[in-house]
Amino acid sequence: MRQIFVLAEHRKHQLRDTTWEAVAAGRKLAGELGAELTCLLLGSNIDPMTEVLARECPKVIAVDDPRFANFNSEALTKGLGSILKGREPFMLIMGNSNSIIELAPGLSFALDAALATDCFGFEVRDGKPLAWRQMYSYKVNTLVSFKNTENIIVTLRGGFFQFTPTAGASGTVEKLPSPLGDEPLGKRFLNYVEAEKGDVDVASADIIVSLGRGIGDEPDMDVFQSLADTMGGVLACSRPIVDKSLLPKYHQVGTSGVEVKPKVYLALGISGAFQHVGGIKGSPLIVAVNKDPRAPIFRVAQYGIVADLNQVVPVLEEKIKELKR
Amino acid sequence: MDIIVCMKWVPDTSEGDLVIDRDGKEIKKDSLDYDMNDWDRFAIEEAVRIKEKLGGTVTAVTVGPDDAEEMLRECLARGADEAFVLSDDSFEGSDSYATAQVLAQFMRNRSYGLILTGTLADDDCAGEFGGLLAAMLGIPASTLVSGIEPDEGKVKFKRELEGGLYEAIEMNLPALLAVATGLNEPRFVSVRAVRKVASIEIPVLGLDDIGLEESKVGAAGARIQIESMVLPPEGEGAEIIKGTAEEAAAKLAEILKEKGGIL
Repeated sequence: MRQIFVLAEHRKHQLRDTTWEAVAAGRKLAGELGAELTCLLLGSNIDPMTEVLARECPKVIAVDDPRFANFNSEALTKGLGSILKGREPFMLIMGNSNSIIELAPGLSFALDAALATDCFGFEVRDGKPLAWRQMYSYKVNTLVSFKNTENIIVTLRGGFFQFTPTAGASGTVEKLPSPLGDEPLGKRFLNYVEAEKGDVDVASADIIVSLGRGIGDEPDMDVFQSLADTMGGVLACSRPIVDKSLLPKYHQVGTSGVEVKPKVYLALGISGAFQHVGGIKGSPLIVAVNKDPRAPIFRVAQYGIVADLNQVVPVLEEKIKELKR
Repeated sequence: MDIIVCMKWVPDTSEGDLVIDRDGKEIKKDSLDYDMNDWDRFAIEEAVRIKEKLGGTVTAVTVGPDDAEEMLRECLARGADEAFVLSDDSFEGSDSYATAQVLAQFMRNRSYGLILTGTLADDDCAGEFGGLLAAMLGIPASTLVSGIEPDEGKVKFKRELEGGLYEAIEMNLPALLAVATGLNEPRFVSVRAVRKVASIEIPVLGLDDIGLEESKVGAAGARIQIESMVLPPEGEGAEIIKGTAEEAAAKLAEILKEKGGIL
């Protein structure tokens, strides 16, 4: 029987939401596979986190070592390697956070596990789990199976596994001594660096005009600024715009940038990769203009225009000015 | 410092319709343009910048079809010193794991201080390759890396977390760094620069040349197998505003006024 494990992710001694999404997916898969669910917590000063996890998981394995405090991927790989050896075959479920993107591949090699990242769903066939993920600019859904090893590691796309607290049932807690030896780590955390704060705060804006790769390589930014001004909003963007230095980083919306909840989100030339869409969930009105009718942004928008945005933007601004009069 | 950069040659799927192949396990690729994986363009640029500052060599390498030579030619034009295509029929059906096996074997015969690559590839969207390769070589690895500063046996850099937060990291060399996009501005490559490197030979190496067993590569060595591919249903989601661009824009202005409460 394959055991199911969930890794608790934490930052600055707080559990992250990815932990609860992983618990939600773990519960579901444990039910379907008839397996036992265990939560793994490797951290520092872990008692408060252990207590919360034990209320939601039948079993918690907890290890306290200051070298786990900053979720150092190398320390975690050694620690998890030691804990999971002898508990095979296993399926380990984790969030697809920026920390775990670094942890998962090396861990999968160390534990002789097959790895599928950024999964948004699972199926069970003949008692074996299969995973749904996306490929090709996130435009194709792909069902994958695992082979050449019995151990499986998956990471989860954010927002796809809803956690419901079960209120109260107390799981068992097994505290293990730290498996880390004295040898120094090749990777060392130095400090956190906060992003530069700018003159525009997109997080609190009510109206956002957001720009993506589709605005072209040499866009006239004044056209978009003018539209934003006319709408009484601010300019934001997806990652490629920051990469091209067209707007500073603090304009970037998405999981790696700012999460926003405006009343109106106008997406111009944004394809809608999940990292970006993760930052606009909860906006009541999302409108998208894109040349590509298959662009994923149209799946989260309420209204869309399939057209060259350079033809749409000037007319749109003109019409808004007319309506204002 | 000697740097090896792992590059990927990927179909451009960012725009336009994709079609699933008849067997339902792959997309049709014959009508797609191929290009350097966007994330890897930043990696090769970073490697050349480090070389310009500290000296050493830059080697570009890819596992891919012979056509990938075009991408490696661009790497040479950017400032790489040498380039290799690893190509063999037996590589067919490789996943990130099997591809990492091939490159790990290639690296074992070479010396390097740093291996660079992109964090993600636009085709598989997996983000596994760099970490797997480093683990196979027994060296530390990091992802979503920017601000790289090598210094006497170690390297300092930033890595991107969520919500605009970064962490500063120090790592022993040799190491593998999978870079974030935007960590530099890749230089413009002129036709003249490409022509200047036209005579540099780009060796194509097969399974026997690198000395690896067939059971470790391709579908045989893969740990992930594609069972089926489907396009998400169209028409799910947004109401598409019909008409010419101008007509649609006019309707959109009305919608923004009524539903968005702007003005």
